[in-house]
Amino acid sequence: MSLMLTKEDLAKYPFLKQSAAYIESMQLNLGDLAAEEYSGILSKALMRIRDSIDRKIRPVDLSDPESEIISYPLSLALVYGSKSNWLLNRFASIEAKRVEEELRKEPGDRILEIAKFGFSWEIERVDLKLEYEELPFSIPLQSYLEAATNFNDAHWKLINRYVKGGSVFLNSGSLARLISEGFKSKIIRRASEREMHNFRIPDTLAPHMDEILRYAQENMQFDEELPQGLVSDARPPCIVAIMEDVKAGKSLSHMARFALTTFMVNVGESVDEVLKLFGNVADFDEGKARYQIEHIAGMIGSRTKYKPPKCDVLRSFGLCVGMDQFCKKAKHPLNYYRTKLKILGGSGGQTGARDRKKGV
Amino acid sequence: MHEIVRKEFSKYYSGLGAEDFQVPDMPHREFAFLQFGGEVMIRHMKFLDPASLKEYIVENTPAHIYHSSAYYETPEATDMNEKGWLGADLVFDVDSDHIRTECKERHDRWRCTECGMEGAGFPPESCPRCGMKKIDTRTWICEDCLEAAKKEVIKIIDEYLVPDFGVSYSDFEVYFSGHRGYHIHVRSQTFRMLSGDGRREIADYVRGIGLDIKLHGFREVKNELLVGPDMKDGGWRGRVARAIYEFVNRASLEDLKKAVSPAVAKSLFENKDKFLKNIESDPPYWGGLKGYTLESIEKIASASIKDLICNIDERVTIDSKRLIRCPNSLHGKSGLRTLRVDYSSIDDFDPLKEAVAFRHGSIRIYVKEAPRVRIGDEELGPLKDKTLEVPLALGLYLICRGAAEPR
Ligand code: SF4
Ligand SMILES: [Zn+2]
Ligand SMILES: [Zn+2]
Repeated sequence: MSLMLTKEDLAKYPFLKQSAAYIESMQLNLGDLAAEEYSGILSKALMRIRDSIDRKIRPVDLSDPESEIISYPLSLALVYGSKSNWLLNRFASIEAKRVEEELRKEPGDRILEIAKFGFSWEIERVDLKLEYEELPFSIPLQSYLEAATNFNDAHWKLINRYVKGGSVFLNSGSLARLISEGFKSKIIRRASEREMHNFRIPDTLAPHMDEILRYAQENMQFDEELPQGLVSDARPPCIVAIMEDVKAGKSLSHMARFALTTFMVNVGESVDEVLKLFGNVADFDEGKARYQIEHIAGMIGSRTKYKPPKCDVLRSFGLCVGMDQFCKKAKHPLNYYRTKLKILGGSGGQTGARDRKKGV
Repeated sequence: MHEIVRKEFSKYYSGLGAEDFQVPDMPHREFAFLQFGGEVMIRHMKFLDPASLKEYIVENTPAHIYHSSAYYETPEATDMNEKGWLGADLVFDVDSDHIRTECKERHDRWRCTECGMEGAGFPPESCPRCGMKKIDTRTWICEDCLEAAKKEVIKIIDEYLVPDFGVSYSDFEVYFSGHRGYHIHVRSQTFRMLSGDGRREIADYVRGIGLDIKLHGFREVKNELLVGPDMKDGGWRGRVARAIYEFVNRASLEDLKKAVSPAVAKSLFENKDKFLKNIESDPPYWGGLKGYTLESIEKIASASIKDLICNIDERVTIDSKRLIRCPNSLHGKSGLRTLRVDYSSIDDFDPLKEAVAFRHGSIRIYVKEAPRVRIGDEELGPLKDKTLEVPLALGLYLICRGAAEPR
């Protein structure tokens, strides 16, 4: 180990192996943490969660690294115990953002070490010098893809990276971002592991749990709901194109069908309306189609409501046709729709002008 | 389907050795079968060794035989979520149907089911007469399309898998699919655990999707002062640089005019030598021509990379739970074998000869309609409405294609 990790480091980077080891060495029991003597830690943990709900990135408090270190697993336990996906995602992204900000202040060699101790990524120092650009690190292709596929910006696409001999070459800013994303995925993935399904928060912490859930509930309501029913003028070009194919009687690829159906269901169209859309398609089988749509709408089967694929996915399947001003900013067709709805509403005052009757 | 086909398939399978049914890591694969005339795939089968797979196949003589690209803990589980996914090979599927070759004018036809308009060659997106997209196609393959597919395979491997992805020559296998093209199975650990999203990035990479050359070092420092990558650079960075160099080097004035404005094309054409010298120099210099901007480079770049991007069926690559044809199984729509190709001698590989499974005997058939067809060394057609005696392989091929009937 070429690097001495201080307590401050463990506080800043909770995903380090050493952080976990440190906590273990304290032999604390989750239920005990509600006791008076740990009230400082508990309030820190609660603040961490509340910060994430407020989307607030608070720098690590280095005056008391110890309670900072312990507050992390406690807050994580509360988040897992809440069984709220919304809270889980918020918490994971804000924790990740904080880590990213800390990492950006570190020199290259430290970032490298932190990546090594945090994940099993085999990052290497390569110091590749290109014209007007330096790429000091390389990361194995698979590790890169593990983390980077969560990003939507063009510069994260593999094709826009320097890829050679099975490695992806990066500068330190990109590496910092990858690490923080790796951290985020780790938090989220852990939640779906089997042992987590049965995880319950100890009774002593229950009142705090309630308080968190209440606070989350209040804030969740701000996450906007879409109006019911399709507003034709706000449709993204990809959806317009698929609808035109439908009109022309083309038999749709599985992906096109899935994109259209999920889109319609998510803008609040009923199963019957969506079915009507497909009426003209050559290989149409109503019984089967109804089943699929109900499945996608989350009415049957796994009961999760499916979302349309993101722009990136549609692009790979050749379904992205547009690059209008909204597309340039959108990463997701629903995003496009939402933005355009707002603008339509703002200028024409016609939000919610539904046109079910016009069909497609 | 005709009993004779089933009988011949059965004979073929009985004659194979157990080792011919070998699939890497069999106990962790799902197997699936489609029977002659059947519409429902028989799925979720597990075989512990090649001998038991052979036994099943000889007994049931399916028309199509598949195994999963994925490895599962419990391949026989019927619920996909219960299978326990352990990873999957990375697969590339090259299908000559998706490649625009000139030979398609000779052997392919399409027809609009709405208005009845017909034509030859690669089918249009929508009917030129009525605009509907209800296009029926009747496609064939020939040496030329299969040769084009082979070129794609070589491109994927030599241009991308080996230099960029670091795949070694022992980490993949190439198969002739038994009909229209080739499959590449990459088995290295690097790709095994990739999610669908990760596989999509790989597919996009070889298909040139989402490429932004500004992210590969091309930059306008000042007006018309353009810097960019070195041809020696790795990945797409060097690839784009080399592609532009090659393109401009070979381009006629007309070619350039198709990519950029006439004025820019002219100045580029007249100053070609200097332009190419600048790219070769260290550091390379990409500008210096009047009216030649970053946008011009982008346009030239997209014209230059056309031959470098790979024509694959991306759905197959993206899917981490795909079913693919078993080695040495017969393709029910051609009667040809799915055959492993030795990559070191792929140039000489003649699929229409080497994948022939029925090497002896003849059969009397009635041919409804067929273009010129070659199987093995036998050529036939174009012909229509004819009864004749042909070698067994050719006869079965036409019957499997639905163009002939036994007589
Ligand atoms: S950018 Fe997105 S929203 Fe726009 S057409 Fe493409 S896929 Fe649709
Ligand atoms: Zn027509
Ligand atoms: Zn051909």
